[in-house]
Amino acid sequence: MREQNLKLVSEEGIRIDGRRFDELRPLKIEIGVLDKSDGSAYVELGKTKVFAAVFGPKEVHPKHLALPDRAILNCRYHMTSFSVDERKPLGMTRREIELSKVIREALESVVFLEEFPRTSIDVYVEVIQADGGTRTAGLTAASLALAEAGIPMADLIAAVAVGKVEGHLLLDLCDIEDKYGEADMPIAMAPRLNSIVLLQLNGRLTKEELKKGLELAKKGINEIYQKEREALRRKYSGVSPVEV
Amino acid sequence: MPLYFSERELVLPGQLLSDDGKRSGEGTYVLGDKVYALTVGFATIKNDKVCVIPIKGTYNPQPGDRVIGIVIDVKPNGFEVSLGRHLTATIRIPDKKEVQALNLKVGEAIYASVKEVGLKGVFLEAGEKIKKLTSGLLVDMHPSKIPRLIGRRGSMINMIKKETGCEMLVGRNGYILIKGPSPTNEFAAVAAIRLIEREAHSQGLTERVENLIKNILGSGVKDERTEFEAGK
Repeated sequence: MREQNLKLVSEEGIRIDGRRFDELRPLKIEIGVLDKSDGSAYVELGKTKVFAAVFGPKEVHPKHLALPDRAILNCRYHMTSFSVDERKPLGMTRREIELSKVIREALESVVFLEEFPRTSIDVYVEVIQADGGTRTAGLTAASLALAEAGIPMADLIAAVAVGKVEGHLLLDLCDIEDKYGEADMPIAMAPRLNSIVLLQLNGRLTKEELKKGLELAKKGINEIYQKEREALRRKYSGVSPVEV
Repeated sequence: MPLYFSERELVLPGQLLSDDGKRSGEGTYVLGDKVYALTVGFATIKNDKVCVIPIKGTYNPQPGDRVIGIVIDVKPNGFEVSLGRHLTATIRIPDKKEVQALNLKVGEAIYASVKEVGLKGVFLEAGEKIKKLTSGLLVDMHPSKIPRLIGRRGSMINMIKKETGCEMLVGRNGYILIKGPSPTNEFAAVAAIRLIEREAHSQGLTERVENLIKNILGSGVKDERTEFEAGK
């Protein structure tokens, strides 16, 4: 329950966790963390912790689902039982099924599926700890896992949420801001292509606020994109080309 | 036309490589007459085309590639062969008698070469070019690391064969058949493959692989001990 006098944004423009309005939470990215998968990534955005793993391209089961001209992309977004304050029952909830779909559609817009006809590529996004912005962190992790798996992509995806809390537009909402704020808008972009691959809005924003929010999100996304590229470069820093 | 990379530079998906869309080669795509990288890999120029050699990726069959496959289905007019991971290939033999003459059963391994790759899938050469593999140890390796296992003009694979005394058949799709004089020798060859898989991109690998094999086969260990005793 929210206490009567709890202020989420102070008069000096400082948020409840000490950040400024346009500041991201501390971001940590690791690539290639799971041995058994073809590609994997771990993204930590403040207290939000997400793993993503990619398997494939591989044969489709059941076989009749295979498409003759391109691969099918399967995506599963799942929150572990212990990721939230009150234990989440096992199995996929409505929310998780929906997020699986939007993450899949965002990824489909950058992956060159026609390179692997009659196959499937499986993406698993597992939320270890949730503190707001799990779908955006999950999408960021999923795109890095796909890149590590060597699957052809037009661009990496970076994602962040923008929201309205006590009348202010804030970047990268945490759980409390999301719950008690007026609006929450997760945005994912392929920055190099300058295209938005995911945009959802929970709550109400005016036209001007939406435009301003998009600008704010772009700023955050570019920051995340740079971190993603750094992480990939770090992963392969000691690697030299194969001599044949 | 300007290029936006230096030779053998690490590039990431979506990275701009060239302004000339006509120079798009393997591992790149064109958008608005500009060339971008498709995967994480090393940018290079091959035959005046901008290419990206992927660090990790799937096996992309090319005509003429020698592959090892496992028979998964026997049909009246040919065979279905699994090439590991997502790939299946077909062998078409018009004559039913020839199919029977080959006497292949489901689960058996064959060594064959790729005839053609198209929209209808991968086809292998039929007839005498199919070699049935009857004995040995079948090992799986990531297909993107196979060039490193072979080495420059076969230097790596020849060294492993010589040091372990094993016969080895390498399929481009990632299957390797090892046949050695003793289980220890075969184990040494497998250990060498696993080391290459793990450290494919590091330098001075041939030497380390050689040391590993010598260690396992005992000769290297013995040398160290004699040196130690001599020093004492």
